[in-house]
Amino acid sequence: MSHPQIAAFARLAKENTPPTRTLIGQKTLISRTMHAFDYDAVHDEIVVNSPLAQAILIFRGGADGEEPPVRYIQGPRTQIVGTGYGALDAVTVDGINNEIFLPVASNSVLVFDRSATGDVAPKRVLHGPDTQIQFAAPGDRGALPAVGVDPMHNLVIVPSRNSLLIFDRNAGGNAKPLRVISGPKTELGGGKPHVYAPKGWIVAMAARGSIGVWSINDNGDVPPRWRIPVTKITGMNVNGVEIDPVHKELMVPTGNGNTVFTFSVPEIFD
Amino acid sequence: MRRIIPIAVGTTVLAICLVLLRPANSPSSSTTVSPRLISVQRFPENGLCLPDEAASTAAAAPPESLLRLFGSSSAYAASQKSGEMADIGRPPVRTIRDTYPTYSFVAVDNQHDEVVLQDLNLWSIRIFNRLENTPPGAPPSVPRRLIQGPKTDIQFNNGMYIDPKNGDIYSVETDTGDKVVVFDRAKQGDVEPTRILRVPHRGFSLAVDEDKQELYVGVQYPPQIPVYRKTASGDEKPLRSLQGESTRLSDTHGVALDTKKKLMFVNNWGHVSDYLTAGTGRFEEASISVYSLDATGDAAPLRVIQGPKTQLNWPAAMSLDPDTGDLYVANDVGQSILVFKEADHGNVAPSRVIKGSKTRLSYPTGVFVDAKHKEVWAANFGNATATVYPLSANGNVAPVRIIRSAPEGYEGLRFGKVEAVAYDSKREEYLVPN
Repeated sequence: MSHPQIAAFARLAKENTPPTRTLIGQKTLISRTMHAFDYDAVHDEIVVNSPLAQAILIFRGGADGEEPPVRYIQGPRTQIVGTGYGALDAVTVDGINNEIFLPVASNSVLVFDRSATGDVAPKRVLHGPDTQIQFAAPGDRGALPAVGVDPMHNLVIVPSRNSLLIFDRNAGGNAKPLRVISGPKTELGGGKPHVYAPKGWIVAMAARGSIGVWSINDNGDVPPRWRIPVTKITGMNVNGVEIDPVHKELMVPTGNGNTVFTFSVPEIFD
Repeated sequence: MRRIIPIAVGTTVLAICLVLLRPANSPSSSTTVSPRLISVQRFPENGLCLPDEAASTAAAAPPESLLRLFGSSSAYAASQKSGEMADIGRPPVRTIRDTYPTYSFVAVDNQHDEVVLQDLNLWSIRIFNRLENTPPGAPPSVPRRLIQGPKTDIQFNNGMYIDPKNGDIYSVETDTGDKVVVFDRAKQGDVEPTRILRVPHRGFSLAVDEDKQELYVGVQYPPQIPVYRKTASGDEKPLRSLQGESTRLSDTHGVALDTKKKLMFVNNWGHVSDYLTAGTGRFEEASISVYSLDATGDAAPLRVIQGPKTQLNWPAAMSLDPDTGDLYVANDVGQSILVFKEADHGNVAPSRVIKGSKTRLSYPTGVFVDAKHKEVWAANFGNATATVYPLSANGNVAPVRIIRSAPEGYEGLRFGKVEAVAYDSKREEYLVPN
């Protein structure tokens, strides 16, 4: 991939509006396409993978230009491993509880202390047959999904093979999910789920190029409460979603159009 | 004293605030609701506020105490009910995109006096007259021919090669396309490639040994240089491949060949890991590694150019002057074209650097030596231009010609596969990665 920058745009930016700043260059340790990452508003930090170097990079929230990360997690103790095909390209931070969640190949979610640096072991690992987590193995032709965290209801949402596995946030080892959203009616579409905690909504990608909204209390074969058919509306695919509760908007990136759409959806946030 | 609190992780702190704003009789987590029954709760006019002390305590508080901290026993959460689903079919209220090309690579067809530009924003190949020049203030230049559309299989293509005899265009896709597409020179519009060769994921660059009729593909990760018959197609396997820890390949980008001296040059960004083994990641400095032209397997480089004097900063395409052996490097974030001597090794400064405000270089990722006309071309990822310099250029030199495909002074968005977005609530900014 050419030029794997992280570019910042004013919220109201439109077509052909240049970025206000970009995080670029050798010193940043950024390496390739980042499929899911986070801004930690509590600590004003950007948390992102370096997909080809088995690392988690943490930058200042206002980082600009060729600015190195303030710290990074990497090394033999970390247990970090991606896949040859999809690398390691999705990470989630829980700024409230000071944790970083990293799905890795071979059906595990590693949880690191947010302030960890260097070659550190995860504080806990969610892994085992009872978890029902099924991720790609290192040699598989697949990518790894990012998890969603709900620090208010103490939940972590793990996408796994067209299911959403809902765990206690502190779950580790071979824990069973509290609930599983799965089945043909769910129309789940993969990717990183976001939790809008005040309402208990899970906002994630849905089938046929849509964004869907489920509840953290859903269990079983449950259709989404709302669906935004992005591909039907725009003609472009859907590669993720982000939420802006203050302005009651969803942002949808589309890889095949090099485009970010913003949808106003007050009904989800009201 | 109250202050505005940013939205934590898109949800968290806002969630805390909304709990505070929630009426005492609002539903608890055990209440069953449908989306249509939710009341509207407006934010206060003076912002989304928490007392300073509460905000700092919230950040440090253990999760189980968050609700207690704000005097609530539980937060509202929707629950499963009727299975009703509502479609929201409104169009987007805003769109961030670049409507102009983003040029990633450039190559010259001297048989037909044309220059070919690879655009990975609008997924096109644009062919111009080699002497095309867009004067200041003039509208953007219009290409002679355009290859673009769903039949073309062009997506996030980077590396290109133009057959010096017949003008065939070779182009490699960098993402999920996993292929090299080959177009007859005269093709245009939404046309199928003449030939498709499946190659490993993350192909970035192409080079051809015309003497041996072999096609080299630089693959970013797992880093490797598979070598195919030049006319290979379909699922044909490579003749050989350079790959392994001893090669010192790492996040491989540009590849250039010197068929006279039987050398292969590869640049690396230094992002290293064995994808089969956990915890093997490490960072190294960017480098250019030099191999025998027929290197295969886990062969060590003959020499390596690496170190702070090199100025390498996300090096992308490379092109070699066959007459002098000078190696030209598109040095993306360095905003420069670096020129190394063929025998350079170690921590060595480039012999020449084209860089500066007069050059009009903007994140150059493509470079091409036109030995016939003694010119060097740059494809500028940042401003929808290709710029041309004398081959001997050095320093802050103005281009002799510019092909511009956007308005004068345009600064592009530099998008190259937008697959995620995060919201910086403190600055009210979208963070968009490539």
